[in-house]
Amino acid sequence: MGEVHLSIRHIAKSYPGVIALDDFSMDFAKGEVHALLGENGAGKSTLIKIISGAISPDSGLILIDGNEYPKLNPHEAKKLGVEVIYQEFSLVESLSVAQNVFLGEYAGFLTDHKDLKKRASKIFSEMGVTIDPSLQVRKLSPAKKQLVEIAKAISRNARILIMDEPSAPLSASEVETMFTLIEKLKARGVTVIYISHRIEELFRISDRVTVMRDGRYVDTLNTKQTSRQELISLMVGRQLNEFYPKRATELSDVVIQVNNLSGIGVKNISFQAHKGEILGIAGLVGSGRTELVSLIFGAVKKDSGDVIVNGKKVNIKSPRDALNLGIGLIPEDRKNQGCILNAQVDFNITLSVFNKLTHFSLLNFRKLKRISNHYNNALNIRTPSLQQRVRNLSGGNQQKVVVAKTLAAEADILIFDEPTRGIDVGAKQEIYNMMVELVEQGKTIIMISSEMEELLGMSDRLIVLFEGELMGEVQQEKFDQHHVLELASGQRNDQFERSYA
Amino acid sequence: MRKINLSGLRKYTIVIVLILMMIFFSTTSPYFLSLRNLINIVTQNTYFIIVAIGLSFVMIGGGIDLSVGYQMSLVGVVTAILMTVHQFPVWLSVLIGILLGTFLGLVNGLLIVKIKVFPLIITLATSTIFQGISYIISGAKTYRSYPAEFLVLTKPFLFRIPLDVFLTLIIVLLASFIYAKTSFGWNILALGGNEEASRLAGINTKVMRVATYAMCGFFVAIATMVMISKANTTSSMFGPGTEFTALTAAIVGGISFTGGEGNMLGLVTGVFLLAVLGNGMQLAGWNTYTQFIVKGLILLGAVTFDEMQKNRKTQVRKQSEEMPDESQVGQGENNG
Repeated sequence: MGEVHLSIRHIAKSYPGVIALDDFSMDFAKGEVHALLGENGAGKSTLIKIISGAISPDSGLILIDGNEYPKLNPHEAKKLGVEVIYQEFSLVESLSVAQNVFLGEYAGFLTDHKDLKKRASKIFSEMGVTIDPSLQVRKLSPAKKQLVEIAKAISRNARILIMDEPSAPLSASEVETMFTLIEKLKARGVTVIYISHRIEELFRISDRVTVMRDGRYVDTLNTKQTSRQELISLMVGRQLNEFYPKRATELSDVVIQVNNLSGIGVKNISFQAHKGEILGIAGLVGSGRTELVSLIFGAVKKDSGDVIVNGKKVNIKSPRDALNLGIGLIPEDRKNQGCILNAQVDFNITLSVFNKLTHFSLLNFRKLKRISNHYNNALNIRTPSLQQRVRNLSGGNQQKVVVAKTLAAEADILIFDEPTRGIDVGAKQEIYNMMVELVEQGKTIIMISSEMEELLGMSDRLIVLFEGELMGEVQQEKFDQHHVLELASGQRNDQFERSYA
Repeated sequence: MRKINLSGLRKYTIVIVLILMMIFFSTTSPYFLSLRNLINIVTQNTYFIIVAIGLSFVMIGGGIDLSVGYQMSLVGVVTAILMTVHQFPVWLSVLIGILLGTFLGLVNGLLIVKIKVFPLIITLATSTIFQGISYIISGAKTYRSYPAEFLVLTKPFLFRIPLDVFLTLIIVLLASFIYAKTSFGWNILALGGNEEASRLAGINTKVMRVATYAMCGFFVAIATMVMISKANTTSSMFGPGTEFTALTAAIVGGISFTGGEGNMLGLVTGVFLLAVLGNGMQLAGWNTYTQFIVKGLILLGAVTFDEMQKNRKTQVRKQSEEMPDESQVGQGENNG
């Protein structure tokens, strides 16, 4: 590689009870896209925080352009051109796009809005994206917000750009736009540090990959000379063979049928799911997937349409109704919708049922304990105790708590919305195995996912949405990434017959 | 314990601060630690504790109620007028007063659920409405000389300790019991912990939200009875201001104003902390205005402490995702 831009030398950082980074050293070359790969807790976040000056290391050095910095503060880091795009947006929702792009730059009373807009437009046209700079950020889609974040970094002349899971909120085509952008930045000599759980992306965009495990440096590889399999085994320290568990599926009765469902942007959608089936819902971000399941689950009021559960037409007006009918939702946003982070594991597991386990509104602690123990063991939730706060668990284990909560409610139709978002590879595997076990027990799973590979690997059948409409249905034999993507981008499937209308 | 239990620390911090404060004031005034003064502090603050408990339902549920003082004003004059002007029996007047208080809470709750605006704004609006109604009903007059049966409430009952002290104790225990052992209490903890997650888990969050406010109104009305019985007089000016003390006590006592957490022991300690502060400063001869400033500083201190802890927690948590070992206190364990 070329000239070294940023060096990490023997950095150590520990927190009470945890060693986040242990004698960690590595180099980033100028103008390369260098991916960091590692499971949750591998120390990636700590590393980028140290590079950006958000936290100081216990020992070790950072070298930028050959200058030594025992520790940086955020201000110094910015001056050296270090910019971070975090997973969570740091935009001011109430301000305009242009104001956000130049946030912190227009000190003083008078700002020339026209000038800001002009400069923002210029950056956007360089980026090859169309965003109206006078729009309020609140009104943008997550994908557009991500682009504004990138524009912000560009406006500050980033020399080292750190991107933490930048593709998470983006659709496939938007990810492509972002990649084109990264290529442009690279050509300008910007060093890009790219973090993503989506390994296929690293092959697409990165020059080199550094694998981290348990706060230690494992290896740096040229992306062209490695394989997905190799990266995963380096990452987890063991071989993962069967990523998507195989199983024999026998379709039996239809357990849920949706007829002409409409509301909140969902237009006239009909489909059915069988007992023992995993039905995948494909579509880009904003295609109405989450909205569709929210309507089924009663989280949002529908405009029209029917839901038929086990042959009976039902009227679901609230999540409570849905749960009573045996429909459970594992929501997309685990932390804000799925669980109560500050509450304990057992409280969360029994959240949907404690109201039923009462005697004159006195809680039946024996039964509650039995339920939380049962699902804790069944799903192998790794927690020191059931009294642990969910906030303290890893993403994968938090997700298991949410699933446990839904299972405890005795749901037979489980809707998983992005079941593995932000979860590391090992935990993903466990979630997949668990899903297969559930369908083998005769439950029905409806799964939304933005990860095409996961969707194709797990589903028995797929339905594809585009802008709130059903574009088609794909049987497992005909699973093909290209075909599904075509449907998801609005090209209708001619063979599809609307047989359940 | 491998690590300090932060929530536990907080629980003890406030008790330790209270003790330190008492030691300090015992040096500024020899009268401070006398039995009589200590009993005074307790009996003068029973109704604050009851209000704070009422408020705790709202706050642990993730809301806020600024109108409690004005609820007291309205409930107080209505009860007093019924007893003194209309000669209603005491039990009926008190019953009507308590129902009225519950109703006022219900109104707050319904408005919040229906209009979907911050509870802060809604209760700010209702507080001036309640105040207006209170003045219209009272005609800005003072009502005094209540029947003996009503005054019993604050007269010595057992071991020369007034009845309201026992009543307060029972209410504290009852509230602790509700949070720890009943589905109602758990619903409130869930609501305050994460409203959307609770709704998606099948909890009727709207009903629960309204219930927390009604519950608050109910306890505030009971507190009003204690307050006017103790004073043996009331007017529309009795009550307003209580919300500030009760809110401060709740926050100082560790009721998170983002909801989902809190314990009754902390709450009671919070009330006494403010009471001891006021009493001690008075005995030490500090003027009232200084006292205001010190109380404000205490509130700022409590909020700062809360914030510092939160920041520290999140920092530690982010790093220790896989090997957690932290506070065990929280939901379902609020038996103070």
